[in-house]
Amino acid sequence: MIQHIKVHDVLQQSVAGFYTDLVTRPTGRAVRESIERGLPAGTIAVMDFTGVGCLDYSCADEIVAKLVREKVRVLLLRGTSDAHRDAIEPVLLGHGLAAVCEHADGTLHMIGAREPAAALLDELVAQHVAARTPGGAIALTAA
Amino acid sequence: MTRLVEVPSQFDDRSFDQFAAAYAQATSGGGGERLLFDAHAAEWASPYGLVGLLAAGEAAGGRPLLTVPSSAEVVSYWARAGFFREAADLFEIHGKVPKTKPATESEVLLPVTPVRAAEDVHAVVSTIQQRASAILAKELGLDPKATMGFAMALSEACQNIVEHAGAGGWVAVQAYNWRRKLARRVVVIAVADAGVGFRHSLEPSQAKRFGDRWGDAAALEAALIQGTSRFRDPGRGQGLAGIRRYLARWEGKVAIRSGTARIAIVPKWDDDVPLRDGLPAFPGSQVLLIIPEQGSPQA
Repeated sequence: MIQHIKVHDVLQQSVAGFYTDLVTRPTGRAVRESIERGLPAGTIAVMDFTGVGCLDYSCADEIVAKLVREKVRVLLLRGTSDAHRDAIEPVLLGHGLAAVCEHADGTLHMIGAREPAAALLDELVAQHVAARTPGGAIALTAA
Repeated sequence: MTRLVEVPSQFDDRSFDQFAAAYAQATSGGGGERLLFDAHAAEWASPYGLVGLLAAGEAAGGRPLLTVPSSAEVVSYWARAGFFREAADLFEIHGKVPKTKPATESEVLLPVTPVRAAEDVHAVVSTIQQRASAILAKELGLDPKATMGFAMALSEACQNIVEHAGAGGWVAVQAYNWRRKLARRVVVIAVADAGVGFRHSLEPSQAKRFGDRWGDAAALEAALIQGTSRFRDPGRGQGLAGIRRYLARWEGKVAIRSGTARIAIVPKWDDDVPLRDGLPAFPGSQVLLIIPEQGSPQA
């Protein structure tokens, strides 16, 4: 079963004050801990960044990298901007980790380290969560 | 007895060592004398000078004296930049200060703002996104998407205070014409604190690795060039690396002064020295980020 995480909603629930930016370690830690409480280990999770403003490296590390490293089997990022990916990619690379990124056209792209990235896509296809399109790209079949 | 610390007439990162030398001399001997920061001759101060002066006031303790610039125009500018709002808590101010609210004019993207906790960083990032977007795009020729990267760099610079300084600090962001170096507009982020500094922060984890070389310069090198952090978590140390990446993309400059050393990533348009050691000691850390207008003739 795929778990869905609306990051903006989690941010509103986890931190006092109406923030739309994911910045600072304490904020990232609070958001991650909130996500972890409802997330079984080893799952495939879709993390939707719609409505999130600025994402800094500290939060990218505290939330995305730590969830990929310690909690989920595959993390699929949705609703990310170029700036979000600019923060996430180097953080994942630094850990030798990867995640899957869904673009606006529904195709899936890898973000982070190359080796684990290929395995992630294979796993999504093997689990029938994603499939190859006639054009050769990979897109979600569900979720 | 009162000891004098003269504020340079053109107070920016270039003249900061002159200020630091005066501060070091005035505080040498540890007699606990009250300091007088004399800014009466100040003609101009960059954001770096203003936040650095606040850091000096905090480090001095004992509510030092501050004589304000004698030029009404300069005092007015310092007031609009938000300096006196913060200085009032630190200094016994001598001279007439206009009761001006910090500016909402285009040059002052972020008035001098205290940074003590994560909530302050949130406020800074939120404010800068509202105010800086148009200026970065229209006046500096940056891609509108670069605004988010700018906020990210600002966030990381401020977080160094919250995470490592062990004391509060200040940030200020301004845009201005930089005739002297570039003949084009720049946006300058200045962050300063009077905390423990990079050497003290990294000493438990890095001193052994550097051996005899360990000192302020080695600590700055470890943090900015090698991306090391005092935390063992492998995800730490990303902030300064991220700032470097952002500035490299926009031909920007980063310089950090801490203790007796200063390190800089120097872009093509600048002639600064990458690493200086043996400077006059000054408490805490002072960070300078400069993003120039894109696509204009260089100096």
